[in-house]
Amino acid sequence: MNKTVIEMRNIIKRYYIGQPNELQILNGISLDIHEHEFVSIVGQSGSGKSTLMNMIGALDRPTEGTYLLNGMDISTLDDYELSHIRNQEIGFVFQTFNLISRTNALKNVEMPMMYAGIPRKKRLARAMELLEIVGMADRADHQPNELSGGQKQRVAIARAMANKPSILLADEPTGALDSKTGRMIMDLFHKLHDEEGTTIVLITHSNELAAETERIITISDGNVISDTGVKA
Amino acid sequence: MQFIENLRLALTSIAANKMRSVLTMLGIIIGISAVIMITTIGTSIQKTLVNTFNSIGNMNYFDVYAQVSYGLLDENGDEIIADYTDEDLLTRQMLDKLVDTYPDYFYLNLSDSFGGFELKNWKDQTFKASVIGRMSFEGDNDIKFIRGRRINKTDSDLKKQVVNVSTLFVKQYLPPDADPIGQTITTELGDFVIVGVFELPAIYTKQIYKPGQKDIEKVTPVYIPYDTGMKLTYQESSYDYYASIYYYPEYDVEMLENTLRDFFAEEYAEKPYMHVEIENMQTYLGMINTVINVVTIAISIIAAISLIVGGVGVMNIMLVSITERTKEIGVRKALGAQNSAIRMQFVVEAILLCLIGGIIGIILGIVGGMALGFIAKQLVMNFYAEYAELFTITIQPSIPAILISVGFSILTGVFFGYYPANKAAKMNPIDALRYD
Repeated sequence: MNKTVIEMRNIIKRYYIGQPNELQILNGISLDIHEHEFVSIVGQSGSGKSTLMNMIGALDRPTEGTYLLNGMDISTLDDYELSHIRNQEIGFVFQTFNLISRTNALKNVEMPMMYAGIPRKKRLARAMELLEIVGMADRADHQPNELSGGQKQRVAIARAMANKPSILLADEPTGALDSKTGRMIMDLFHKLHDEEGTTIVLITHSNELAAETERIITISDGNVISDTGVKA
Repeated sequence: MQFIENLRLALTSIAANKMRSVLTMLGIIIGISAVIMITTIGTSIQKTLVNTFNSIGNMNYFDVYAQVSYGLLDENGDEIIADYTDEDLLTRQMLDKLVDTYPDYFYLNLSDSFGGFELKNWKDQTFKASVIGRMSFEGDNDIKFIRGRRINKTDSDLKKQVVNVSTLFVKQYLPPDADPIGQTITTELGDFVIVGVFELPAIYTKQIYKPGQKDIEKVTPVYIPYDTGMKLTYQESSYDYYASIYYYPEYDVEMLENTLRDFFAEEYAEKPYMHVEIENMQTYLGMINTVINVVTIAISIIAAISLIVGGVGVMNIMLVSITERTKEIGVRKALGAQNSAIRMQFVVEAILLCLIGGIIGIILGIVGGMALGFIAKQLVMNFYAEYAELFTITIQPSIPAILISVGFSILTGVFFGYYPANKAAKMNPIDALRYD
């Protein structure tokens, strides 16, 4: 069994606490995700999967329960420490790519390393290496608006990998792409998983995509209703 | 390192919205350029005044005026009758006593006109000269001697009958090639020996003499020792309401003025209806400078109000920019940007916006101020062409104002950029990411 990266116990998330419209989104979720796993979290919209993703991505803190990321208790960290966690441990891949406009592909990939305080030369070398891995090295100096959707997503994946995070957290990464480019992105994830051993958490509503992964966790109404379990 | 990155980011962002950036800067540009223009003009006026006064000559003297006070009451409440006579005015004895009491502080450099006289030359032609008595030529930078020596205080003290004449006078009085030094001139006052020859200042040829006037018709000044003149005109114990008293400039002017005031108060102790008023060119110059400074600062402050308007414009556009870039802020935060990094990014952008505006404003202000200065200079020179030599017009921007403006621009950026930047820094990353 590989080392546990994410350890969640009885995670509860409530909004508007103490107000008449108080809302409980996550009803005590517990799950473990291990190193080198390729996991998908599936659920209908409103199931709480986005909230769970925010929690995993250290963008949000749970109301109750404990979340250990590489053994660190996220629920007790302040904003500054959370930003450090996001920078070092999490690699976000968004549905809409979210590249910074007017900033070329190389600079976009450099960005997480800039916030990590890595020197410029080292940053450049690493960014070029990453663009090479995702097959975008020849487009390094292109602005986001000069790239196609699939190319943007590949740059975004390179950016997510910049600081060698513990988890690549992909939120509907093919949602804004046609099926062909979507396929290419999925192939890239498989390549990263197989060749680099990257731990990937894929958030999706598509059972088809989920079926490609090693393990499927299904969320409904803020509960885990099924988990295909760790592959032996 | 991140600062350089921020600078690059800010430049990209400003360049991406050129029109908007320029419009945003407009307030700063107008404010700064107005301040620089006004201070350029203020500084130029001051420099011109100082230089002009310095070129005129020695300004280190006090004007002392004897004044009669009416309607004063004594300790019983009765009106003091001011039945003064001429003898109550300033006397020469008083002035001599002053100089004897404070030889380190004061000296006399009295001068007076003793009227015009007709003279006859070697060809028996008649011409006129005006006789002026003086103690020295100190501070009279305009008069240049080409032969012999100047009359001085000793000549005056000894009441010598010596005279300084102009080159024109020599031409009028003596045959060509004659040596003027040692020649005697005879006037109604008596005989005087020429001891020195000077060149007439340009003002005579330019203004006093008419074009085409014959040399023999021109009246030249001749200088005799002051006390010689006073003796020959029987004015040795005269009274005057006015005297100029020179001082040595190494002493504090205010202290000297108080010394003078005390001295004359003592002199007039027996005559309560008499007092002196003391004025001084340096004090005037100081007062004029103060007035110009106050006016410059006052107008600058009014102009600087537009800086506040400009700053509010910057704040407004920064708020718009941050709203537009909410998603970008969310992404940056998701990628691990600390709140401080986001805050710095937008503060740097605001500072840069203000600084660029400030620099454009400074350049426009200098150009505008200098242009106005040169126009004013041309107007003055054209209207008062005959006095042109008296003016030393200096046009110069105010260096402190420029430095303060640069500082103020940066400060405006920090002040009006901080609030929007802080708003950006405090955004919740989840909401920011979800923003469309």
